[in-house]
Amino acid sequence: MELDRLDKVYQTRTGDVVALDGITLAIAEGEFVAVVGPSGCGKTTLLKILANLEQHTGGTGILGGKELGGNRSGDVGMVFQKATLLPWLDILANVLLPVTLKRRPTARDRAAALGLLEMVGLDDFAHKRPHELSGGMQQRAAICRALVHEPSLLLMDEPFGALDAMTRDQLNVEVNRIWRETHKTAVLITHSIPEAVFLAERVIVMSPRPGRIVEEITIPFGKERTLELMGTPEFAALSAQIRRHFEVMAA
Amino acid sequence: MTTTSESTDTALDTPTTLKPPKRNRTRSPRRRQLIATLSVLAALLVAWQYLPQMLETPSYVVPVLSDVLAALFDPAALPRYLDAAAATMTEVGLGLAIGVSLGLVLAVTLSQLPTLYGIVFPYIVAIESIPKVAIAPLFVIWFGFGLASKVVVVVLLAFFPVLVNTIHGLRSVDRDLVDLFRVNGATPMQIRMRLLVPAALPQIFSGLELAVAAAMIGAIVAEFVGAQRGLGVLILQAQGRMETPAVFALLIILSSLGIALNVLVRLLRRLVVTWEQH
Repeated sequence: MELDRLDKVYQTRTGDVVALDGITLAIAEGEFVAVVGPSGCGKTTLLKILANLEQHTGGTGILGGKELGGNRSGDVGMVFQKATLLPWLDILANVLLPVTLKRRPTARDRAAALGLLEMVGLDDFAHKRPHELSGGMQQRAAICRALVHEPSLLLMDEPFGALDAMTRDQLNVEVNRIWRETHKTAVLITHSIPEAVFLAERVIVMSPRPGRIVEEITIPFGKERTLELMGTPEFAALSAQIRRHFEVMAA
Repeated sequence: MTTTSESTDTALDTPTTLKPPKRNRTRSPRRRQLIATLSVLAALLVAWQYLPQMLETPSYVVPVLSDVLAALFDPAALPRYLDAAAATMTEVGLGLAIGVSLGLVLAVTLSQLPTLYGIVFPYIVAIESIPKVAIAPLFVIWFGFGLASKVVVVVLLAFFPVLVNTIHGLRSVDRDLVDLFRVNGATPMQIRMRLLVPAALPQIFSGLELAVAAAMIGAIVAEFVGAQRGLGVLILQAQGRMETPAVFALLIILSSLGIALNVLVRLLRRLVVTWEQH
C-alpha cells in the first residue's frame, strides 16, 4: 500500500479545512502499522479514505494494486470502536455479513467463519445473538467479521476504546496473535500510545490541523508480543518518545 | 451475600458452568402485580353492580353490571352485534392495511431523499397537529355513507404514527453500521432492506401500536358522522332509545376488540423483534 502526498480538504461555510496534508506513507504487505495522534489530527479521515468511505482531494494512493477511490469494495475489513453487530442476526451470520452482501455463503464460507470464531474462542457462541455476549466477546466477533472475506487490509478504528482496561489488554494480545496467524496487513488508529507500541511494527505520529505525519517510529520487538513487554524499559522509552510529540502539540 | 442473587447476565467473558435454577418460594413480582391488577378489576366490577343501586342512580344514567351483561349476552341482539362488529373491523382492517403500507413506503422513500424530506416534513408536522377526525364529515360528503369514507378516515389516522415513527427509526440507525455496509460494498438497496428497515423495526412496531388505537377511534368517529352499519351506528341507535345498558355492552365489545388488536400487535412484535430486551 502506498500513499503519495495525499490531501483531504473539507469545504465548509467558513472556508476550507485541511484535514490531511501531504500524507506520504508506504505499508508493506503483512505489516502492522499504528497511527496515533490527538483528536482532530485526521487519523480517522485517513482511515475512511483507506476504507473508501471518503475520497481524498489531492495526491495519489494505491491499495492492493488498485487506485484509491476506485471500486474496490470488499478489499478491506474494518473494525469500529463499537462492535456494530446486527442484533437480529446470530454471531455466525454477523461474521458472514461481508460475504452475504456479495453472494450466498457457501459451506466453505461457513467453515471459514467458524474457524475464525474458534480462533478467538467464540465457536460455542456461533448461534447466540450479540446481546448475549459481553462487550469484549462482541468486539472479537467484529474482528472475525472483518477477516472473513480475506481482505488485503485490516483497518481498526479505536477498536477497544469502549472496553475496560483489562479486556483491552487481553484483546490486544489476541489481535497480535490473529495478525501473526493470518498475515494480514493491518492499520490501527488509536490515541493510546501503549496500545500502538504494543501492537505495531511501526508507529506513525500525526499532528492536528492540518493532519501531518510528524514522525515514524519503528518498533523493534519482533512479531510476537506479550503483556510482559509493557513493563520493559524499552517499551517505556518508545512510549515516552511518542508522548513527547503530544506534549509539544499541546504546548 | 451475593451468592443468593441470581445473575441474569449470560454475557460473561469466560462461560461458567450452568447452575441449576433456584426455585423462588415467594411469588415473582410480575405475578404479584397480575394478582393486584385482577383484584382491582374485581373490586371495580363489584362496585359497578352495587354502587348505582346504593346511590339510587337510574338505570338509564349508569346501569348496574348485571343489566349490562344481560344486554351484552342478549341472544336477540347477538346477530346485530356480530354484523356491526364485522363492519367496524372491516373498516379498521382495510384502513390499517392501506394506511400502514402507505406510511412504511413513504417513510422509506423520504428517508432516502433528503431534499424531498426537507420539503415534505413541514407538511407532515402541520397535518399531524390537525385533529384529523374533524375532517371525517368532509369524507362522508366525498365518499358517501358506505365503507369507503370510513376506510379513508382510518387510513388517514393510521398513516401518520407509522410514517413518523418509521422515519425516526430509519434516521436513528447508527452511522457506523451504515459505514460497515458501505465498506463491504453494499448497494443502496441492501443498506435499505438489510440494515435500515430491520434496525427500525422496534420503532415501526411502536408506530403500529399507535396506529391500531388511532384506527379504532377513526372507524367509530366516522360511523358517528354517517354510516349504515357498524358498532358506532349501534351505539348511536342505543343512545337514541336511551338504552344505556346496550351502550355499555357495545363499549365493552369495542374495547375488547381494541385490546385484542393491541395484543396481536405486541405478540407480533415479540415474534419479529426477537432481539429486543423486555
